Amino acid sequence: MDQIEKLAADAPLLPAARDVAGPARARRWHIAVFLAPALLVYTALMIVPLADTLRLSLFRSIEHVPAFVGLDNFRVLFTDPRWSEHFWAALRHNFYFFAFHILLQNPVGIALAALLSLPRLRGQAFYRTAFFLPTMLSFVIVGFTWKLILSPLWGVAPTLLGAVGLRGWFHPWLGQEATALTTLALISVWQYVGIPMMLIYAAMLAIPHELIEAAELDGITGFAQFRKIKLPLIWPTIGICSILTFVGNFNAFDLIYTVSGANAGPNFATDILGTFLFRTFFGNQLQLGDPNMGATIATMMFLIILAGVSAYLFGIQARMRRYAL
Amino acid sequence: MGSLSLSAISKSFGVVDVLKGVDLDVAAGEFVVFVGPSGCGKSTLLRVIAGLDEQTSGDLRIDGLLMNSVPPAKRGIAMVFQSYALYPHLTVARNMGLALSQEGIAAADIKRRVETASALLRLDALLDRRPAELSGGQRQRVAIGRAIVRQPSLFLFDEPLSNLDAALRAGTRIEIAKLHRQLGATMVYVTHDQVEAMTLADKIVVLRGGIVEQVGRPLELYARPANLFVAGFIGSPTMNFIGGDSAARLRAATIGVRPEHLLVAPESAGAGAWIGAVSHAERLGADTMLYVDVPEVDVLGAGMLTARILGDIDYAVGDRVGLTPQAGKVYRFDDDGNSIAA
Repeated sequence: MDQIEKLAADAPLLPAARDVAGPARARRWHIAVFLAPALLVYTALMIVPLADTLRLSLFRSIEHVPAFVGLDNFRVLFTDPRWSEHFWAALRHNFYFFAFHILLQNPVGIALAALLSLPRLRGQAFYRTAFFLPTMLSFVIVGFTWKLILSPLWGVAPTLLGAVGLRGWFHPWLGQEATALTTLALISVWQYVGIPMMLIYAAMLAIPHELIEAAELDGITGFAQFRKIKLPLIWPTIGICSILTFVGNFNAFDLIYTVSGANAGPNFATDILGTFLFRTFFGNQLQLGDPNMGATIATMMFLIILAGVSAYLFGIQARMRRYAL
Repeated sequence: MGSLSLSAISKSFGVVDVLKGVDLDVAAGEFVVFVGPSGCGKSTLLRVIAGLDEQTSGDLRIDGLLMNSVPPAKRGIAMVFQSYALYPHLTVARNMGLALSQEGIAAADIKRRVETASALLRLDALLDRRPAELSGGQRQRVAIGRAIVRQPSLFLFDEPLSNLDAALRAGTRIEIAKLHRQLGATMVYVTHDQVEAMTLADKIVVLRGGIVEQVGRPLELYARPANLFVAGFIGSPTMNFIGGDSAARLRAATIGVRPEHLLVAPESAGAGAWIGAVSHAERLGADTMLYVDVPEVDVLGAGMLTARILGDIDYAVGDRVGLTPQAGKVYRFDDDGNSIAA
């Protein structure tokens, strides 16, 4: 029976039957073939580790034997003072860090982009490169350089302030609990302001020239032109910048690790979820590594970012209009 | 209101001279069309009048007031762009009213003026829509409405119909002509389409290479072109230019005959001034275009004479025909290409 069908399918007398069956089957195959490479790589690098992290957070190692404890790790993280004190502090620092970026980095990025897109500005390419350069530097270089600049012992900052008679204004900002996190946030803003600047600059360049000329003829110039014409057209890009900032901040680790070390000193004043996770998972100095509690923190970070991104996608982006230019 | 005076306007972009001393006077209420081939400077001239580009030298006066270096919004002008340039994030009503609210005009006044303009342009039903929800023709009308509400003394149009399809173009052309009659404002209109120029203009300015070649009423340019360029540019199909002996007999370097002024007869019917074989025929129903090879005649350019015959006349390719210019319809040009007075 199979053979007969096969013969029939191959027979040139039945082109109609082949047309119906052939493409449908072929279509399914090529979809799978084209999706496979990306899916395999993504699964191996993202989905498997993520799933395993979620799984780890539900277990605890008792006498070197993994035991399922349900959500008990989360209860410990939120309520056991040995963990919760650090966790809530790190979370608070993370929100402070994020607020600093959203309120400073994005507005400065927008302002720089608006200035760069002024048609009469000279040396545009120079400024563009100069503002973007820190973004291209390694965080190790940035962190270490700023650590040196701000060092009270051999840093250039006290000398420079002294040169303009403000030596008294200098404080070891990175070494004081009250200012360390703010200083780090400023360094981070300095480094990454190039990203919102470039994205928004590109969005502004995409605004048709005639539209701006129409605004000029309508008497809408200068800041009013920015507020009434350009800003509404770049809102979607600002939204993207904000969500990138959000994800970047709650995943932040590198700069703080470079400048303040894994202990996020002074006295955990710069501790954020990233450094807290690092210490917990891998261990640090006298602290032993605890993969299960580490996974629990990582899961919390994942959930926070997921909540933020979802809120953006479903709450903000759905309501934001993109205009065909 | 709305007279315009240009004296010795020139404009250079770096080493490129786009306008080379343009003088022009436009009376209040006139409809002036700038026409010319691509790169002739017509759009640049319009932008200089608008204040979007600053002239390199020369004086620009609107209503007798010197407007050099005056910002665009303070010149009492409004402009309609080729791409419409509507604000994509604003409704039709806000698009039209934005300039007024920027000037600080009361909301009630803005509303009244927007309503007047939208009634004139049949935009009433569309006031709450955004540009993306409008068709090309509707966007064009909004762009015109945005200009009208400002009550300018001078309207500037930069190829406003070139993004519309042919049917819509004819309709909008008529609307613009009506609008000019209703508003009585001065209008300056840039186009490369000579039909628009001929039908809309009180006065046509033909530009080439940044120089004004001729200024005049449409039929004046048709009947009395100042030189070869204007003669060839105005009229469609293009005028036939003939040199050599045929021209020398009339004491001219070149003579020109418009296709519609060539009488065509079969060779058998007797002599024509020029005799040749039909190489191509275009039958449009209302009229017929014949392209005739005339080897003995020194035809400039295409090497074929074009004749336009009213009605549908069935000549086949290869038919031999005689062509005779109508009496008094031959244009004569001297060595420099300038017209020789009849």
